[in-house]
Amino acid sequence: MTFSATPEAGPVNPQATTPAEAANRPLMQIDGLKMYFEITSGILMSRHVGDVRAVDGVSLSIRKGETVGLVGESGCGKSTVGRTILRLYRPTAGRIVFDGQDITRVEGSSLRAVRRRMQMIFQDPYASLNPRMTAAGIISEPLEIHGVSSGRERRDRVRDLLATVGLDPDYGDRYPHEFSGGQRQRIGVARALALHPDLIVADEPISALDVSIQAQIINLLEHLQDEFGLTYLFIAHDLSVVRHISDRIAVMYLGKIVEVTGSRDLYERPLHPYSVALLSAVPIPDPAVETRRRRIILTGDVPSPSNPPSGCRFHTRCWLRERLGNPERCVEEEPVLREMATGHQVACHFAEEVDGTAEQVQVTGRPGRGAPVGSAGAAAGVAGGVVAPTAPEGPQPRPRPRG
Amino acid sequence: MALLSVRDLVVRFRTHDGTVHAVNGVSFDLDAGETLGLVGESGCGKSVTNLAVMRLLPAPAGRIEGGQVLFEGEDLLRLDEAGMRALRGKEIAMIFQDPMTSLNPVLTIQEQMVETIKAHKKVTNKQARAQAVDLLTMVGMSEPDRRLRDYPHQFSGGMRQRVMIAMALALQPKLLIADEPTTALDVTIQAQVLELLSRLTSEHKTAVILITHDLGVVAGLTRRINVMYAGFVVESANTADLFAGPAHPYTVGLLHSMPRLDAQPGEPLIPIEGTPPDLRHAPVGCPFAPRCAWRVESCWREMPPLEPVRETAEVQTTGPLATHRSACWNRPTAEEAIAGRPLRVDFVPAPEPVEVSR
Repeated sequence: MTFSATPEAGPVNPQATTPAEAANRPLMQIDGLKMYFEITSGILMSRHVGDVRAVDGVSLSIRKGETVGLVGESGCGKSTVGRTILRLYRPTAGRIVFDGQDITRVEGSSLRAVRRRMQMIFQDPYASLNPRMTAAGIISEPLEIHGVSSGRERRDRVRDLLATVGLDPDYGDRYPHEFSGGQRQRIGVARALALHPDLIVADEPISALDVSIQAQIINLLEHLQDEFGLTYLFIAHDLSVVRHISDRIAVMYLGKIVEVTGSRDLYERPLHPYSVALLSAVPIPDPAVETRRRRIILTGDVPSPSNPPSGCRFHTRCWLRERLGNPERCVEEEPVLREMATGHQVACHFAEEVDGTAEQVQVTGRPGRGAPVGSAGAAAGVAGGVVAPTAPEGPQPRPRPRG
Repeated sequence: MALLSVRDLVVRFRTHDGTVHAVNGVSFDLDAGETLGLVGESGCGKSVTNLAVMRLLPAPAGRIEGGQVLFEGEDLLRLDEAGMRALRGKEIAMIFQDPMTSLNPVLTIQEQMVETIKAHKKVTNKQARAQAVDLLTMVGMSEPDRRLRDYPHQFSGGMRQRVMIAMALALQPKLLIADEPTTALDVTIQAQVLELLSRLTSEHKTAVILITHDLGVVAGLTRRINVMYAGFVVESANTADLFAGPAHPYTVGLLHSMPRLDAQPGEPLIPIEGTPPDLRHAPVGCPFAPRCAWRVESCWREMPPLEPVRETAEVQTTGPLATHRSACWNRPTAEEAIAGRPLRVDFVPAPEPVEVSR
């Protein structure tokens, strides 16, 4: 999980490493990723007047077989991260290493070869399927593009895929409008599976679906992960869903990751003031719990990513900064992600102060389970200050859904 | 007397594809100052019920084909359009999911707020404007004087919803209908808006009907909940009773199919199988039967009435002692509600009878 974990400096041949090295290597490693979108002005002479800094220095690694959740509010850049690592965009800066191969600048046929191994599931099952193609046509299109199989073999593969995602194989001749929302999302999943990918980026895959259907798709994704050893980057705004499906969670705010940790740890011991506020804002369907919890009401709206605040981007809305008497450090110095416990990184100058606050306890409903982070770490202010005795969370076997 | 009393409401839509049975005999009562949650998935009839109360169904397709809507004892369905117009906004106000489409994009906020106030009150422009400033201050808008001159697109989603709340409460209505007021908003903004809504309505003792698909939102905000499915109220209870002991398989299913933030990791979700019914077919039996793990033979034939879960001398329809009622022939037991599935030995959901065509 450390960001200097990848020794390779440039493109490397995956075959050159030993199997042991390959097993330890993250499947996807991104370092200092930046994705800016130009803002231009003028009709005839288009001038570059600024940038929307959608992603502004994101580092993250995803191990094989694990599910990493990326959460944040709209406009925080989570979808852009997903699209950039699949190289649907050309990143402005940074490095994307997929299975040992630097894919930051690959183009043409080598990019196509990599894309075979990375697929995407989209949010809107209505807009992401071509209404003029049959389900079978949609699912077999990736096979066609990559020249995999043909004729009878391809037809059988499509029938297999339909059955795998829980649809009747005979439904292949139907058009998207003949399916319900949940069934359409199953077609989207089947299309993503067609090429036996290693990594699937699921961008809000259930938020367009009805509540009673969401669990069907979550269970399907979990089941497919067990069956095919898939690795997921699961992007969503709903923390409850992300926490359910993910092994680790990265919280984003205005183009940056502010906290990364195991999904159990994020709920039990959030250490970034934004994570605490985000957790406190999620309603829990239990009136007994709801009457006990107090929400942290953040003031104002998320600032614009084209003109983000200086220093810590959250300082304009931070409840902790106010409590600490508005220290100048938050305005002047940008906090870096530092290791607060094994596998738990936080980008806040005052993360130690979050631990044990009434706000943190309110959110988790119990005192933090990790040992309190001492002031020694605060004084040193460096990565790996104090390590709490919580085990890092890796991919864990998940109980199979019933039925 | 209840503030609002909906009796056996039936709403149908005549479309090219046939008749859509949107609301199939819904009854509920609401006292002054009470908060009621209407929970259900898209197409369950929760929004249509309230559009019918406001007499805002899209004409000519949407028709109220039966029932009564008594507001302070007066049947709104018999009121003429002028009478209804005097009532809307003043007595019953409504806020919608998408604040962008419910504000006029070519008018400033000031023009829209002044227009609303002047439509119902005999005041000068200046007085109306002063009241608009007060209202925006009340919903926590900074620099309300300056922001009144802005257009809707200059506001963020959360701010637009604040403007809508300010306008809805401008005339101190007795009833506020909030239709998915925070669904389009981010979770931290949702928290702001819900807090505001709950503070203002309790200060003004406004009765609230909160329509949502999110059980988490109603858990913290409403005192009583009606769960709707396919145009029927299938369960009705105090918020505490409903969550402590859901007594309809659909409610049980909803609670088990959503991951909870405070759940133990690895706890499996139990989805509700199948899909919601096609409302173009007239309901035969219980509409949830095809998806229900508890169904018995009679579920395929006859819609169960909404009846008390526990024996009671008198059914209370409103207030803190409202009777817990559920429309089910084979209610889940308390243990089954916790487990999320039938626990009776050898229980098999009744197969669909061949002679009943759905």
